[in-house]
Amino acid sequence: MKSISLYVDKNSVFHNLHSFTKLFYLLTMILVPAIAGNIWGFAAAAAFSFLMLIICGLLKKAMPFLIFTITIVLIIFIVQGLTYPGNESVMFSLGKVEFYKEGIMYALRIGLNFWNILFAFALLILTTKPKDMVEDCEQIGLSPRFGYIIASVFQIIPQMTGTMSTITDAQRSRGMETEGKLLTRAKAFIPLMAPVVMSSLINTKERAMALEIRGFNADIKKTYLYTRKLKTSDKVCLFLMGLSILSSIAFRVVKWLILK
Amino acid sequence: MKKNLFKTKFNTAVIVLIPVCIGINFLGKFIAAQLKLPLWLDCIGTCIGAVLGGPVIGAICGAVNNLVYTITTGDVQSWPYFLTSIGIGLTVGIMARLGNMEKFGKALVTAFVVVVVAVAISTPINVILWGGTTGVVFGDAVFTFLREKGVGLWLASLCDEALIDLIDKFLTIVITFFIVKALPKTITSVYSVGDEIKNL
Repeated sequence: MKSISLYVDKNSVFHNLHSFTKLFYLLTMILVPAIAGNIWGFAAAAAFSFLMLIICGLLKKAMPFLIFTITIVLIIFIVQGLTYPGNESVMFSLGKVEFYKEGIMYALRIGLNFWNILFAFALLILTTKPKDMVEDCEQIGLSPRFGYIIASVFQIIPQMTGTMSTITDAQRSRGMETEGKLLTRAKAFIPLMAPVVMSSLINTKERAMALEIRGFNADIKKTYLYTRKLKTSDKVCLFLMGLSILSSIAFRVVKWLILK
Repeated sequence: MKKNLFKTKFNTAVIVLIPVCIGINFLGKFIAAQLKLPLWLDCIGTCIGAVLGGPVIGAICGAVNNLVYTITTGDVQSWPYFLTSIGIGLTVGIMARLGNMEKFGKALVTAFVVVVVAVAISTPINVILWGGTTGVVFGDAVFTFLREKGVGLWLASLCDEALIDLIDKFLTIVITFFIVKALPKTITSVYSVGDEIKNL
């Protein structure tokens, strides 16, 4: 069964960090440039995460993310370049269509921030098993029931896609058409969807019973097979990131005071 | 009727229902993509969860769905829309508890309310994060056209979003309606909150 998680099994600087450190890294990368409020901040943060991706050898795995987002960033550039409310000075023109400098700068800001968050996020999910992260969260007090919900989604989806492909084959052999005109394709949606949905909803009853037999509802403190503690490297990283958030706040305050 | 509106059971059956609903969301999106339909159809599961388990379960389904979707695809641009998913879950749940998912005609009313809620939540997100665009080429073409014609930012963004949501959410609710109708009583009764247990 194919896993749907994007985790890459490797050994790198980021793999060895605790999942909370990585989560805090994502938070830092979102907060620091936003607080500093400078376009260079976004660019620097994006470049830093990009560099980390290269160092960890994950660039190839992160490429699909990047390609996926190029269209949306391109759309932002075109739409804002043409229609941003503060547009005044023409930057360049393609035939009759004129692109404005203000709009392009605004789009650049959104685009850079977007890529910054994307790269930091890619670092987090490519190096962390979802199950480990859920377990770490449970150990500091996330409800085990909620933890189960998230962890089991990762098991159920591959299972359902498996059932799905069986049903697609079955329906095709009965003569269902999955190609052709829009209406033909739209008609195929129900015979594909309904059997999977029905069978998985009916299965929930059995799964609930199986869980209850194994003490899912027990009100006793749960124990864990693995415990992951914060290492010295984690603590150093957390300290540095906390420091950078504080200094970005200080930077903003100083800037504000000078402008005043 | 009123006091049952937000009443939620948190038994094992409901906890197991949530991952399945999220799985259904994924499948809907997957099949729609496979059949090359120009729609998302990615909240059927949330709606089923909301009809069966109530508004709170619907909201949880919506929130966890977007969280997991972002983790598994790395599609960061869609995470702020978890607010929309929560809104859809809540709305469908409340409408279902008010008895608006029992007949086909009433389900269409629910669909209309869901479209209004989805557009009302998504449009501010579009404007704040993306300057008004939705990322769906067809809708964004309308947006650019309206902006060029001098229509206000919010109105143009609203049209962009409403155009896509209208068809998508109507179909979603109709599909949900038929699926829930077809479920055997033994399944639906596990989740209903209206029943009283009588001891012998």
